[in-house]
Amino acid sequence: MHKALTVAYREFMETVRTKAFVIGAIIVPMLMVVIIMAMEKFMKLTERDEIPQRTLAVVDLGGHVMPALKASVAGFNERNPKRTFVVEPIAADEASLLSVREELRERVLAEKIYAYIEISADAVRADAPVLLARKDAQIAAYRDIRELIKPAVMAARFADSGLDMSRVMPLLRDVDLDSIDVRAGTSKKENEMARTMTPFVFMFFLWMGTMGISQGLLTSLIEEKSSRIVEVLLSAISPMQLMTGKILGAVAVGLLMMGIWFGFGAIGARNFDFGSSVSLTNVGYLALYFLPAFLLSAALMGAVGSACNTLKEAQSLSTPMTIFNIVPLMLWMPLTQGPQSPLAVALSFVPPITPFVMVLRLCADPNTPVWQIVASLVVLWLGVFAAIWFAAKVFRVGVLMYGKAPTLGEMIRWARQA
Amino acid sequence: MDYSLCIHEITKRFGTFVAVDRLSLNVRRGEVLGVLGPNGAGKTTTIRMVMGITMPDSGRLELLGASDPTKVKDRVGYLPEERGLYRKMTVEATLRYLGQLKGLSGATLSQRIDEGLERLGLQGWKTRKVEALSKGMSQKIQFLATLLHKPEFVILDEPFSGLDPLNRDLLEKLIIELRREGVTILFSTHQMETAEDLCDRIVLINKGRVLIEGSLADVKGRFATRTLILESVDDMRRAEHWPGVEQFEASGGVARLTLTERTDPQPLLSQAVSAFRLTRFELQRPNLQEIFVHLVGEDGTRDGPDAAPRSNLVRENAHA
Repeated sequence: MHKALTVAYREFMETVRTKAFVIGAIIVPMLMVVIIMAMEKFMKLTERDEIPQRTLAVVDLGGHVMPALKASVAGFNERNPKRTFVVEPIAADEASLLSVREELRERVLAEKIYAYIEISADAVRADAPVLLARKDAQIAAYRDIRELIKPAVMAARFADSGLDMSRVMPLLRDVDLDSIDVRAGTSKKENEMARTMTPFVFMFFLWMGTMGISQGLLTSLIEEKSSRIVEVLLSAISPMQLMTGKILGAVAVGLLMMGIWFGFGAIGARNFDFGSSVSLTNVGYLALYFLPAFLLSAALMGAVGSACNTLKEAQSLSTPMTIFNIVPLMLWMPLTQGPQSPLAVALSFVPPITPFVMVLRLCADPNTPVWQIVASLVVLWLGVFAAIWFAAKVFRVGVLMYGKAPTLGEMIRWARQA
Repeated sequence: MDYSLCIHEITKRFGTFVAVDRLSLNVRRGEVLGVLGPNGAGKTTTIRMVMGITMPDSGRLELLGASDPTKVKDRVGYLPEERGLYRKMTVEATLRYLGQLKGLSGATLSQRIDEGLERLGLQGWKTRKVEALSKGMSQKIQFLATLLHKPEFVILDEPFSGLDPLNRDLLEKLIIELRREGVTILFSTHQMETAEDLCDRIVLINKGRVLIEGSLADVKGRFATRTLILESVDDMRRAEHWPGVEQFEASGGVARLTLTERTDPQPLLSQAVSAFRLTRFELQRPNLQEIFVHLVGEDGTRDGPDAAPRSNLVRENAHA
């Protein structure tokens, strides 16, 4: 074991010093945090910018909307003094409409006015859309104009139907739905965005970690084989010690990488109030899945890497496993929204994807039955032992083998023969 | 007799291909044993079994008194035929790592590394990366790594292949020095001259079996002296028809006579003395090269159509 640890230590130190690790584990998450924070700052900066008053030429064909629109604009300007609008009513009827349109179009193109808006009579009585013509395509301005038009047209509809808007509107106010944590007895605000994203973020971390480990292990095994150092190592240690050491080293790298990411993730989460939707207990459960997940993929990659001579061979040989691991990525939405569905429960017991599915489920629903957690962990660890057994058999044969890469079928035969 | 290694009828098959066939071999403590044989004879497979890297299918072996070779790896130094180093590690880190795997640590290890590098004239390269070394220097580092833990038994698989003449000399000197220190050495080679220079005993392996085994004198003695060298200013072509001469070659005043089996060279001597003005008369013992070619030629090699290519040895048979 001591020698396996020596191997693991070298593996860890050499991997941690590679550019790939520094980029993957530190620079990428750091950039992500920086970008997110910068974006936020930037948004606030743009909000602070003063935009010159924009003129909206409005053709109100029915003649019912204009007063409400003017009131709506006045209210908007009061709330957003840095990006105000002004309404220029344009008179037109069915006969003159086309020429008016043409004239307004030219004024918009010449940037004399920001936009022109045409409200037909049917926009009030039926479902005809209000028409907006402008030169640019700023989303913010679109949103603002919508915010101006909607209440104005609605007010016209109220007037048309004879209802008192000032009495109806307050009744249409939003209804909140808060959750009560049945265990703690406290209630909290639901954050739907966080609810959907948190499981994904955790699973994505696990997924990236697994991929990172696999790539690292493949690269280092291929290097050892192609530089012909394997047999030198085997003069001092057994193939099993070598493999154990490499797997442990790779897993340690993965755990370090996760640690760094969670650190950055925690900073990000505090900014966005994401953390609140995952209970501390569940974070504890998550940790239970990371180690076996890493061991499992490291063992399988150890087998693949030992049998191949080039990274290209290794990548094509590991493709089936990679594709298998994409399943939870694709099923993220259905699994998050139905964490107790039969599909979710069934996939929880398929070892290579067990950790991904369970991480999704545990984040999506804090009330996953304990028996399922225990059973899935048992199945997962059985999978880990099976993978290590398989890897050890293949490793012994593969590591001293040069020439054509084997197929998956051949590797399975080696495992049976060895 | 005190043995460092006893191999008793080990067999290794890869599928239907028998790489090593009930091979038995003993290595005495303190001797230098040369394992000779053509490519594909089973030398590397045998050595790998001795090192516990692959397991024999049947038979048993005892390395330094242990039946499980992996238990005594720290007392054995092994230089494999396929050898390399981590390119991105420094010379010192490489030696430290390999030394640790051999059970060394701390100050002893540092001291051995310094001593070794100094002896090989590589002190200045200690902190350089391996990729900066020339091929010859890497080879020296590999020798050093093999001997760092002062093994009592050294196994060298084709140690001379790919060496430049300087390193060849160096390695020969190292082997002689190790023998003087009482280290047991087993090395495999297909280069006969080296074996002749360095070995106390040789074993000739072909097709996974031992063809002949013994001390050099012993092995050579088993082959009758059948070559007679004559040197004279006279024209010696007459000798071609003397009784007992099977083959005759002459060039530049030197005649080389191959005698038929059971011919006593003594009467030929007197005949030659009376026939020519001789400047040289020599009964030449067969060299290892000739014995090798003769024996393997009789036995046949695996380089025929049924031969398994070396690199694909296992793979070919994994299909079977």
